[in-house]
Amino acid sequence: MKLLKAAVVFVLAPTLTPAFDPLSVSVMVGGAVMAWHLFSSDSWLKCRFQECCKKNSTVNFTALKAQLDNRLFGQHLAKDVVLKAVLGFSNNPSPKKPLMLSLHGWAGTGKNFLSQILAEQVHPAGLRSKFVHLFLATLHFPHHDQVKLYKEQLQNWIRGNVSACPSSVFIFDEMDKMHPGVIDAIKPFLDYYEEVDGVSYRKAIFIFLSNAGGDLINKAAFDFWSSGKHREDIQLKDLEPLLSVGVFNNKNSGLWHSSIIDRNLVDYFVPFLPLEHRHVKMCVRAEMAARGYAVDEKIVQAVADEMTYFPKEQKIFSDKGCKTVQAKLDIHEDFVMRDMKSRV
Amino acid sequence: MDVGKSHYLQMLMLPTKLFLCDLVVNQFAALQENLDKKLFGQHLVSKVVVKAVRGFLNNTNAKKPLALSLHGWTGTGKNFVSKIVAESIYKKGLQSKYVHQFVATLHFPHAHSINLYKDQLQSWIRGNVSACPRSLFIFDEMDKMHAGLIDSIKPFLDYYELLDGVSYRQAIFIFLSNAGAEKITEVALDFWRNGRTREDIQLTDIQNALSVSVFNNKNSGFWHSTLIDRNLIDYFIPFLPLEYKHVKMCVRVEIESRGYTVDEDIVSRIADEMTYFPREERIYSDKGCKTVDAKLDYYYDF
Repeated sequence: MKLLKAAVVFVLAPTLTPAFDPLSVSVMVGGAVMAWHLFSSDSWLKCRFQECCKKNSTVNFTALKAQLDNRLFGQHLAKDVVLKAVLGFSNNPSPKKPLMLSLHGWAGTGKNFLSQILAEQVHPAGLRSKFVHLFLATLHFPHHDQVKLYKEQLQNWIRGNVSACPSSVFIFDEMDKMHPGVIDAIKPFLDYYEEVDGVSYRKAIFIFLSNAGGDLINKAAFDFWSSGKHREDIQLKDLEPLLSVGVFNNKNSGLWHSSIIDRNLVDYFVPFLPLEHRHVKMCVRAEMAARGYAVDEKIVQAVADEMTYFPKEQKIFSDKGCKTVQAKLDIHEDFVMRDMKSRV
Repeated sequence: MDVGKSHYLQMLMLPTKLFLCDLVVNQFAALQENLDKKLFGQHLVSKVVVKAVRGFLNNTNAKKPLALSLHGWTGTGKNFVSKIVAESIYKKGLQSKYVHQFVATLHFPHAHSINLYKDQLQSWIRGNVSACPRSLFIFDEMDKMHAGLIDSIKPFLDYYELLDGVSYRQAIFIFLSNAGAEKITEVALDFWRNGRTREDIQLTDIQNALSVSVFNNKNSGFWHSTLIDRNLIDYFIPFLPLEYKHVKMCVRVEIESRGYTVDEDIVSRIADEMTYFPREERIYSDKGCKTVDAKLDYYYDF
């Protein structure tokens, strides 16, 4: 229908402007139409050159599962929960509240990585997208005496961006270091309102990352290991009671959760288990493949052995998860590898 | 927007940005050579630094900025190494406008202005890295730096792709401190007392000794305890205290650089004048190679 109208306009335009020759008129009309498309939002032309917010974006299940399986190692619980959560949310045509995921765990286990993968599925440009916003407590809200300013700024920022693109993604890192006053500012957006001041937040996604509860999760994982059970047998229900007792009910844990979970605004608590030796080896292999080298098992073993492990006697879980693996790989590189790479 | 295209554009722009940063073309030959010729008595350092810097610079897809922590006894060559690294990467070395040196006691002296320092430092780092992604930041006297200020640098050292639109993944951060020097000396002394050579000391020996006492003790004043909590330091590079023979090497180099002929008698005399510890064995120089050139002036008259 649109095409027909366009065709009609093009054919009739020259007749309506006898002062100009048909060719010039067509060119002018064509130019005007293109300009109008470029400046209006959501037109196909603009979306080819600039990023657009998709009105009805749904997450591709198979793509997300493939990404999680291939890139995230050792987190069967996190993968499970996130897949179900995100799919349920995105396939729901009218969600009642924004999706709120709270990721907890030890350093280097993949919390930021997972939120990055997730953001990429919702907005293809991932963390570089205009519609994905990353906030670090120590960087963006450093001074505790300026909490009022941060609150206002944050609220305006969220409101503005969600009205521009309802399916915006907000990632808050280092939540355990964030001032509770700032977190309170976000609470209204997470709730079951249809609209707040004319803006609906129901399609937005909020991801909170923190290290809080990491030691409890580690203890649970260690208990499982020492009783001889498989890591994959750990269920969410094994971890939730621990977390609620140790972390949420403890006001001295420095954790803000006590206010947000009072209102049951967190949809999913996603625990991240500490990584074992074999997972570190998977990280090394992935890094070698990413750099274009052939995977050499000796080097993989050497790099994984160099990492430090806890607890001190049993040495099962990596202290730093997969962090600094890249750097250690640099040390083990030798000229053979460089030779192989240059020939590749 | 097609993500592939934006990455392609970034890759195209990368060489121009590197060119803008005034980088030296063949960086590694100079680095290895300079470290071998000019740095004495630090076999651990030359191995690790060259591999670390080379690996990082070659990696076009680094996931985080390079963070090196150089710690050890005074006068052992920490600032010297950072100078050599700067010279091998940037055409103008330490004078380059893309190399930034911060001395904790000089630039961040007052504890009560900590908030101001935090803001300024963050803006400074952000501004410079957006102008030149391959910037080098050297922080001296880290053991005297306020913990809150160190915390404010942490986000830049982490594995983020972009922070407020700026990528820090190509920057290099070097931290210098005296922390852990006693422990390192203990390890070196143990080796000496057991009759083993200095070159037998491995990185793991020192790391084990340090981690037990220092990293786990929050009162040790070892600033690393905050940064290593997040494991943001890529390499801990220890500097061993210098022995008599190394001091002599320093003297020889200084004489040659001034254009005189090397007189072994004078070299020995100058080296003898330095003070050594521990009191009985007298193996390691108290001040490393510092004040050697001043002593030289006394012996050579013009």
